Amino acid sequence: MNGLSSNNAPHPSVVKPHFIFGSLALLVLSVMIILADTTLLGPYFDGKMIAITHMAVLGWATMIVFGALYQLIPVVFETSLFSEKLAKFTFWMAGLGVLLLTYAFWITDYTGLLPNAALFMFVSLLLFVVNVILSYKDSKKKNISSRFVITAVGWLSVTELIGTLIAFNFKYNFFTEAHLHYLKIHASIGLIGWFLMLIIGVGSVLMPMFMVSHQLDDKKLVRSYYFINMGLLAMAVNWLFIHFEKITPIFWLSIVTGIYFFISYVYDSYKKRIRKVLDIGMKHTMISVLSIFLPVIISLIIFFGRGMDSMLLLRTTSLYGFTIIFGLITTIILGQTYKTLPFIIWLEKYQALVGKTKTPMPRELYSEKIADLQLLIYLFFIVFMIMGLLLDQIWLVRIGSYLLLTVAVLYNINVFKIIFHQIKKNYSHD
Amino acid sequence: MINEEITNFELEVLELLKNVMDPEIEVNIVDLGLIYELKYDGDKTIDIDLTFSTPSCPLGDTIVSGIKETIKKKYPDFTTNVVVVFDPPWNTEMVSEDGRRMLGM
Repeated sequence: MNGLSSNNAPHPSVVKPHFIFGSLALLVLSVMIILADTTLLGPYFDGKMIAITHMAVLGWATMIVFGALYQLIPVVFETSLFSEKLAKFTFWMAGLGVLLLTYAFWITDYTGLLPNAALFMFVSLLLFVVNVILSYKDSKKKNISSRFVITAVGWLSVTELIGTLIAFNFKYNFFTEAHLHYLKIHASIGLIGWFLMLIIGVGSVLMPMFMVSHQLDDKKLVRSYYFINMGLLAMAVNWLFIHFEKITPIFWLSIVTGIYFFISYVYDSYKKRIRKVLDIGMKHTMISVLSIFLPVIISLIIFFGRGMDSMLLLRTTSLYGFTIIFGLITTIILGQTYKTLPFIIWLEKYQALVGKTKTPMPRELYSEKIADLQLLIYLFFIVFMIMGLLLDQIWLVRIGSYLLLTVAVLYNINVFKIIFHQIKKNYSHD
Repeated sequence: MINEEITNFELEVLELLKNVMDPEIEVNIVDLGLIYELKYDGDKTIDIDLTFSTPSCPLGDTIVSGIKETIKKKYPDFTTNVVVVFDPPWNTEMVSEDGRRMLGM
């Protein structure tokens, strides 16, 4: 039975709380965006903007990613999670850490609460990193996909270290450069090193599996791995120690080349799929992959638009972050929730009943109508926010904010419908 | 049992196993071409060589127990042995015509 993974899957009690926290965080995030209002059109380094960003990347995205990754480690690494107890402890620490950190930014308490919250968050993320690395050590499958995942986890540590140092610098002031310089490094490593690398690593396993596509060229993934990592590493070293800004476009080009190879791999998978109809989860996923083009184009505008109006440049920078956090990351998480969570709950409820009686399919655990509506509204949200930020129109941003709240409500309805699914009488033992 | 009866019984079991679904792909394991071999010894033992569409298939155990339970439900006295094999690796050519229709190919 070599290669089977459901024996290695963690207990659902490890995974489910992450989805609950993440879903509620999306709801809180959408309320925070509504409350921030005109701040959204201001500088991206405003306290409320940074609070929103951290609720998005940590409370929402990272929490769901942690839960999903605990479930997917057996699939990607072909081994069990090193410690379920540690994962549960990490959940509580990270959850509290996110709330404290976000609150510290929201109320701009940079010297009192922030360093403590950042340290708390740092320790919790470090525990996650240790758990994944020790799982990887026992892995039987050290291929390119698992290498992407473990490298992403490494970049997460670097992101957190820099973030914590920034938080401490507010109190002890030991940096040689301005805060914004380190914020740029922190954000770039977090978004590219942690999220993008992880999406490629997990996506390269799950996308062909869900679309049932075979005979794909792994060399494209290998090229993607080296181009992205070399570019990001060189960019980070240059920004931290050398400060030769003119060379940055070369590193950017290396990262974009790596992204190209990943998109090409996904395109092959899409073309070779035998499952022709894309379900709601895969529709989200494909939109997410295509949306990678947006930040690439926007970063070009930022590079070559140094002479543009300073407020427009600030809003363009916000837009760059927005397209990565919402275009790429949130879209794929919204979609993959519909692929992973129903499956986790289905296994919990019906695994023992398979063959003994008729069981529902995992997709029957949620409302497809709600999921379809959620995707449609989400696309409108993206359009309204991009237009609002580009045209400096608060009314467009406000409409976008309420659309996101609607998305969050619909998503929560489905997530809780799945999590609290009960076995119906007609599905129980004959 | 004569050979013809054994073959007919094996076909009957294969038909029965069309009730075992891959819950993710929503196609049964027979039409997906996941069963490489099914042998009946003429007495009360059925041996099955099974594969998965991917070696790290998270539904592996579920499919194996689904096969055993489905056979046990109809033939309670029988023993079913399932061996999971990955040689040759599964590919899309192994999907039946019905399976292709179900997948929208």
